[in-house]
Amino acid sequence: MIRNWARDPLVHFLIAGALLFVLFAWRGEEPDPDSRTIAVDREVQASIALQFETMMQRPPTDAELDGLIERWLRDEVLCREALRLGLDRDDAVVRRRLAKKMDALASAQAETAVPSDTELREWLAAHPQRFARGASVGFDQLYFADEEAARAAQAQLRRGADWQGLGEPLSVPVSRDKASLRVVTDRYGRQFAAAIAGLEPGEAWQGPVPSGFGWHLVRLRAREEGAVPPLAAIRGEVEDDWRGATIAGRTEAAYRLLRDAYRVEIAE
Amino acid sequence: MHRIITGLAWASLVAVLGGCGADAGVTEAQSGDGSGAIELAEFPDRPYWGDTHLHTDNSIDAFGFGVRLGPEEALQFASGREVTATTGLAAQLDRPLDFLVIADHSDALGATRRLYDAPRILVRDPTLRRWYDMMHEGPQGSQRAIAELITAASNDELPAALTDPERQREATRTIWDAHLAMLDRYNRPGEFTALAGFEYTLMPDGNNLHRVVMFRDGSATTGKVLPYPGIDTEAEGLWDYMAAYEKGTGGQVLAIPHNSNLSNGLMFELTMPGGGPMTAEYARKRARWEPVVEATQIKGDSEAHPFMSPNDEFAGFGVTGWELGNLPLTAATTPEMQRGNYVREALKRGLSIEQRTGANPYAFGLVGSTDSHTGLATGDEDNFFGKHTGNEPGPDRAMAPQNLGTSEGRFGWHYLAGGYAAAWARGNTRAEIFDAFRRREVYATTGPRMVLRVFAGFDFTAADWRGDWVRAGYNRGVPMGGELSATGRAPVLMISALKDPDGANLDRVQVVKGWVDETGEAQERVYDVVWSDMAERARVGGRVPAVGDTVDRARASYSNTIGAAELRAAWTDPDYEASQRAFYYVRVLEIPTPRWPLFDRLRFGIELSDEVVESSVAQERAYSSPIWIRPSPMSPRSTAPAIMVGS
Repeated sequence: MIRNWARDPLVHFLIAGALLFVLFAWRGEEPDPDSRTIAVDREVQASIALQFETMMQRPPTDAELDGLIERWLRDEVLCREALRLGLDRDDAVVRRRLAKKMDALASAQAETAVPSDTELREWLAAHPQRFARGASVGFDQLYFADEEAARAAQAQLRRGADWQGLGEPLSVPVSRDKASLRVVTDRYGRQFAAAIAGLEPGEAWQGPVPSGFGWHLVRLRAREEGAVPPLAAIRGEVEDDWRGATIAGRTEAAYRLLRDAYRVEIAE
Repeated sequence: MHRIITGLAWASLVAVLGGCGADAGVTEAQSGDGSGAIELAEFPDRPYWGDTHLHTDNSIDAFGFGVRLGPEEALQFASGREVTATTGLAAQLDRPLDFLVIADHSDALGATRRLYDAPRILVRDPTLRRWYDMMHEGPQGSQRAIAELITAASNDELPAALTDPERQREATRTIWDAHLAMLDRYNRPGEFTALAGFEYTLMPDGNNLHRVVMFRDGSATTGKVLPYPGIDTEAEGLWDYMAAYEKGTGGQVLAIPHNSNLSNGLMFELTMPGGGPMTAEYARKRARWEPVVEATQIKGDSEAHPFMSPNDEFAGFGVTGWELGNLPLTAATTPEMQRGNYVREALKRGLSIEQRTGANPYAFGLVGSTDSHTGLATGDEDNFFGKHTGNEPGPDRAMAPQNLGTSEGRFGWHYLAGGYAAAWARGNTRAEIFDAFRRREVYATTGPRMVLRVFAGFDFTAADWRGDWVRAGYNRGVPMGGELSATGRAPVLMISALKDPDGANLDRVQVVKGWVDETGEAQERVYDVVWSDMAERARVGGRVPAVGDTVDRARASYSNTIGAAELRAAWTDPDYEASQRAFYYVRVLEIPTPRWPLFDRLRFGIELSDEVVESSVAQERAYSSPIWIRPSPMSPRSTAPAIMVGS
């Protein structure tokens, strides 16, 4: 129980927060919007220059840098004045933007967290259907434009004819190995994919089965049923899914944490 | 105490700032160009299907037209998941796409969204304020606002608040970065490719010179630049930006012009923009950065027009309505302008310019795409989700006027359902798909997924079909998009057209040839090469008889009792002359099938005029990229990269 408690990210969140809180309390407040001093130190200048360089693929000239700093300064002055006037408070864009940034902060933890194997194994066990591989098939097929011709060829095969000489030309592969349902559908069409799903694997030639092209005799050599691969084979995929689902939960949990610190009074 | 808890919670949130890497969980293979991520086939073994031109709610006009689906939903939909369209319908592709380029407009990326969110009192510019009010009236007002917006943009009358680049930069940066991170997340080498891109929306006087810009690289590289704005710039500026990107980052980028049909002659000029003979330098630059054009999409088809191709009985596909004028219909298109509007004419002009200057500006491959503004990359007739959210499925859209601004003449039924791009690649990764575009081994379809393979060489014969003809094609010839050096013998095209297995049979395969004659004039000719039931359909007066028509107009259905599953030919140009400078591309026609207005009539019980019913039966088609042949000796400089053979 205590171990679980110690592993809870929200607890990490609170402990780290407490440490930071202490740090800020000790260092004193950051400069507030009312401050009348603006320091354009070397660090700020470097970051302005760097931004230009990544944009234009070359460093700014001295004159350009002066202009950029002047523009930065203008934004900074107006931004501070706007905050003093409270212009941020009734601006839907600013509100939404800030709220979105808070969500991003909360989800960032989930986005960078590295889940343990145990966590992912549990996730995989809880949602096997998301990771199951569809059945794959290995087969040979012979194409015929007409059903009649396909039946005639089937009769020949039953009498022991060599399949290699049979069939009409069609620009799709004659043989496939370990082809997924998606690949079979893409290359041979939905009708053929559905037909092949109904066949039993074996050495015999089956059919004819229809496709959008015509008719096919099929030798279904192998079928691997859909299965959930072991975690090691699909770790990245499971992690992505876990992360996606976890982000939503973390964002909500972080909001709840903040929300609980407020007393909300809604007038009747 | 209360204060302390709040402070504590706040500090907790700040605590996670340090680890704010949004791309954790995305593998290196996903966030890069996919090189080395999957096993590649020896030759490009199948076409991969995609849409290179999709808009989401980050596009200024799409948001205004009402779409509320963003890039994430667009990626989910294209890769096969079900999403809910803006108007509430559940939507899912029955066959997912293999790749997607979300091409939101670079100008004011996300600006309309912010306008919508702004408190009304703060929208001071009178024009913006009017649009703002219109957008809040509901979907119809919203569409009117956007129609005005497009007209204003084409007349250079956009309010400064929307065009000031400094004011835009900050907003664009964050949307772009978030967008790139999202693309990496959905990019899965071998399964689904999410390419970064944007639309460059150059539109002098409403004449459409738009390009889709498409990157090969992952977010670490594309994040080093921002989308290049279209307003107040010129195409050469875009090419300079692209050159700086490649030089500065080591990445790769290309541009795909589209809707030349709405450019009033400006997309494929014989001259420099603004007049004067085109220089070799300009021609080379254009060919270097624009190796592919989008020949067909929702806003019409730009392959050919009967005005320039009176002997081509199939030249009129998807031109009705669109041929009247430029994008906002603020200026009519004159017959002479049509020459600069269509792809076949541009390919011919390219030969003429090359003959004169040694460089061909219009040596491009062809793709189709949607240009859908719904976030949904739908290309089929039975799933047309509309050009934009204002005409998602509903009873009124087929007959409603859809002209932008105030002009007349275009109606809902003029919209095509949209096209797709097919790329011959060795695997499904950013690098492989992009490189297929770069070497022009791509083709266009108007929606159906027929498989079209073309090789050109000098010694192919029908006997090659019996062996591994694909290997023979790569070893002894060049694939679509390639170039042949003349040997004095006539070129032979090896063509295989396989029907969409879930679609209509094929009517015929045609070769479209363009060349420059002895007098220096560019000429064209369309050859019927192979067609279904050739024994019964012998030529009459030099023409192959029509394939027939099985379309049941009332039920929006057809039957595959006519046509062929596959058409193959090894075709030798009967009119080749050794000194000819020429191109060849292949056009494949399906049998007639119902277009989307007939499906709408069936679903919604609406009335359609006879004209609309008749125009709602069409022969969908595919256009290959051309193959060029030059007189020897080879012209001084080739504009295309080497054609890959095996590996």
